[in-house]
Amino acid sequence: MADTHTAGRTATGPQRPPLRRPDARSLVRPAVIAVLLLFVLFALPQLLSLYYIGAMTQVAVYAIVALGLGVLVGRVGLVSLGQVAVLAIGAWVAARLLFATSLPYPVVLLGAGVITMVLGTLIGLPALRLRGLYLALITLMLAGGITVALATTNFPNGGSGFLGYNGSSVHIPPIRRPSIAASDPAYFRYSVLVAALMFLLVLAHIRTRPGRAWAAIRQSELTALAAGINTTLYKLWAFALASFITGVAGGVLAGAIHYLYSIDFPTQDSITLLAVVLMGGAYSLWGAVVAALLYQLLPALLNNWGVSSDWLTILFGIGVLQVLTTAPAGLADQVPKDLGRLGRLLRRRVLPGRVLPGRVPRKRLRGPSQSGGGAG
Amino acid sequence: MSGSRAIEVDGLTVRFGGVTSLDGMSLTFEDGTCGLIGPNGAGKTTFFNVLSGFVRPAGGTVRAFGEDLLSIVHFRRARWGVRRTFQTEQAIEELSVFDNVALVYEHAKLSGASRRQDVLGAISFAGLEVDPYATVRTLGAGERRLVEVARAVVGRPKLVLLDEPAAGLPDEETEHLGEVIRRIPEQTGALTILVDHDMSLVSACCETTAVLDFGKLIASGPTAEVLRDDRVIRAYLGTAEFQ
Amino acid sequence: MPSWAYFQPFVVSGLALGGVYALSGVGLVVLYRATGVVYLAFGAVGAMGALIAWSLIKDTGVPGWVGWLVCVLFAGAVTLAYGMVFGPALAKRDPLIKAVATLGLTLVLFGVMDLLWTSGGGQSRAIALPTDNGGFVVGQLQVNWTQVIGLGAGIAITVVTGAFLRYTKLGTAMRAMANDRDITATLGVPVRRVEAAAWLGCGVLGGVAGLLLADLVALDATTLTFLVISSLAAALIARLRSIALTFVAAIAIGLIHDLLTPIQALSNYRDMTPFVLAAVALLVLSRRSVISLSREEA
Repeated sequence: MADTHTAGRTATGPQRPPLRRPDARSLVRPAVIAVLLLFVLFALPQLLSLYYIGAMTQVAVYAIVALGLGVLVGRVGLVSLGQVAVLAIGAWVAARLLFATSLPYPVVLLGAGVITMVLGTLIGLPALRLRGLYLALITLMLAGGITVALATTNFPNGGSGFLGYNGSSVHIPPIRRPSIAASDPAYFRYSVLVAALMFLLVLAHIRTRPGRAWAAIRQSELTALAAGINTTLYKLWAFALASFITGVAGGVLAGAIHYLYSIDFPTQDSITLLAVVLMGGAYSLWGAVVAALLYQLLPALLNNWGVSSDWLTILFGIGVLQVLTTAPAGLADQVPKDLGRLGRLLRRRVLPGRVLPGRVPRKRLRGPSQSGGGAG
Repeated sequence: MSGSRAIEVDGLTVRFGGVTSLDGMSLTFEDGTCGLIGPNGAGKTTFFNVLSGFVRPAGGTVRAFGEDLLSIVHFRRARWGVRRTFQTEQAIEELSVFDNVALVYEHAKLSGASRRQDVLGAISFAGLEVDPYATVRTLGAGERRLVEVARAVVGRPKLVLLDEPAAGLPDEETEHLGEVIRRIPEQTGALTILVDHDMSLVSACCETTAVLDFGKLIASGPTAEVLRDDRVIRAYLGTAEFQ
Repeated sequence: MPSWAYFQPFVVSGLALGGVYALSGVGLVVLYRATGVVYLAFGAVGAMGALIAWSLIKDTGVPGWVGWLVCVLFAGAVTLAYGMVFGPALAKRDPLIKAVATLGLTLVLFGVMDLLWTSGGGQSRAIALPTDNGGFVVGQLQVNWTQVIGLGAGIAITVVTGAFLRYTKLGTAMRAMANDRDITATLGVPVRRVEAAAWLGCGVLGGVAGLLLADLVALDATTLTFLVISSLAAALIARLRSIALTFVAAIAIGLIHDLLTPIQALSNYRDMTPFVLAAVALLVLSRRSVISLSREEA
């Protein structure tokens, strides 16, 4: 049944191999990212005051957390309103390990990630059979529950026992940092590197089998099941991944701020986090960075200028409403309209001639064709 | 008796709250392509959902090629050999055509030796003339349906369930779809069940047809006879007189 | 384990609290059934209403009842406005999205509350209803009128709402809409007006609950906003469907929460009660379903 009007195609299929030869255009993005990363690692600490270096360290931490939530919301279609509580657990575990042992920092981070992952998966397992709405509400209540528990157990502060909390200690030791990254600028670089690793980990998932399974689950769980996908397993996997990286982020946070208090992890923060993730774009990895900038850099700026960060809370609330009412298809839409338009505008200026994602019109393609705009 | 190529449905009953969607359906689907028709709400999609494992019946059994189909977990039925398309097309937009069709391979743990060939073969069998690495989002509705059909024939299926594959398509594409569907049994050896409202499609593709109305089986047999049956016509036209 | 005498006062306070949770839970369930929206801003509107009432009474010296009326009207007005603006915009979307949208409103209210009534700074606020002072004695228990109102309002709202849904035209219309909004519209039911009634009713209940909780628990933006979780838990246990079950669950949550107070080992964790109960209930209730199909898919 070889059609005559498809030139260059034989009955056994097209000649193109599954792995694309890297061409000049597809190398641009990684190159830009590499340059950006180098700039952030080496130039930024020189340019910023200690105050802003601290803020940017928080940006790195929360970029990881936003990434985890982005995977859940943007890739799988699951809403979790408890990610800040998960972050708190990660921070708790890391602090406990750092006080109780002299394990090297990377091991502690890994440990925090793994333990948080196990807890997140255990909690997620029964909850995953619930409809999306119920899952979101359960995670909201989970966040509240964990906040309550933390207020009572407190964070480890060098004390003994399982909880490692000494309520009466007068001098509370600060949580230590890795010896190679003791100063604030050095720790900032350290956290950026950890964040980059977490992003790579997530990217590795998205580009391979789990990412494809998630794409199917998000669009239609029934189609995924009919195709043989064990949806519960992959949802759990997403939960595990999000919990792992958030746990690691908790470890980085512990070293960043030295002292942890339960009021640092209020229930409403989980809601604000969802808001900024939606505003930054839950689907794209860049969106997590934007979300973290909204969440940590803007308040730092406002604080410096003497403006209350409550205005940001209000802004984020409006942002949620705006995103949800204008996004045509669900929460996991690609970059929301405004930021998307801005991004495309910038890219058109910076990288002319590049195929822009998300805007390829629905054409009927006949004959040798170009690939449609790729995503992510 | 493994070796008999048939789907034996016995006393299948499904209830949702107060509604009985399937009422003691008993039928044997023989090899080849069978049609399943009936007015809206007759229970056809519910039946498919039972076969896919999305709905647990209140009673009854389904034996497929000698095996108890209902005892297999829903996501494992693809590995067993069930393939399904849905009323609203669900080719995964974010993925390429190739990845869509290969989903079954990836997850049903079929042997990957000739995966690429099988997938590309399925794509060309469906008559899809697009770059297999094109993202499905860039395709039109008819092409997306063909992606689903390609997914349905990949990886040695045993049972292919097509749920209104031609719904919303213009005549020319429906015809092309019909041609493809007719060749499924010979290409794959699978038993195919086609649900649709388009009677010309059903007569063109199916040797036998069964008719559901209000969850009950009201007729089954060679397609031409069934379509002329009085009870069937009445069910569709909804006259008050019942036999 | 303390003796029964220690528990007794907490039975009273628990019932009062449970009654207010029931009132709130019923409001949430009815609104959900009429519009598909889980109104997570319920606590926030009540909180802000209570704070407005407090400011009015303290700063302008208006009589108490004016302040409370403003509280209830404010909560009702904000909720109605939200429902009329964002209801239609999101009407066809998944309930999950509608619920997340109300979180947007929650954040806005939260920010405004923190701006106008900054927390901390040593200022503790309280709402004292005149019914706090009077009361009666049952055996050895002191019961004040506010607690009676709490429980009484819960019972009254549950009964009245149940009757309303079953026997009035408006109520029947709401039940129909819960089933299928579009079909109900084609039957000539003024869908928009019914929705408006549901939103307004829910908002008013939010204001009442905010006032009562500000009195019974604390007048604090965060506390009051997130007390919605307790009512939400009750509504979830009732699968967002049954008013009667919401009532029972709410009373149970209120009772268990307060009864844990005198138990040393658990007292600090008693705020986890709603979460634990709701989680257990949901997991038990969802064991039977294979996969949740939406009505269209089935």
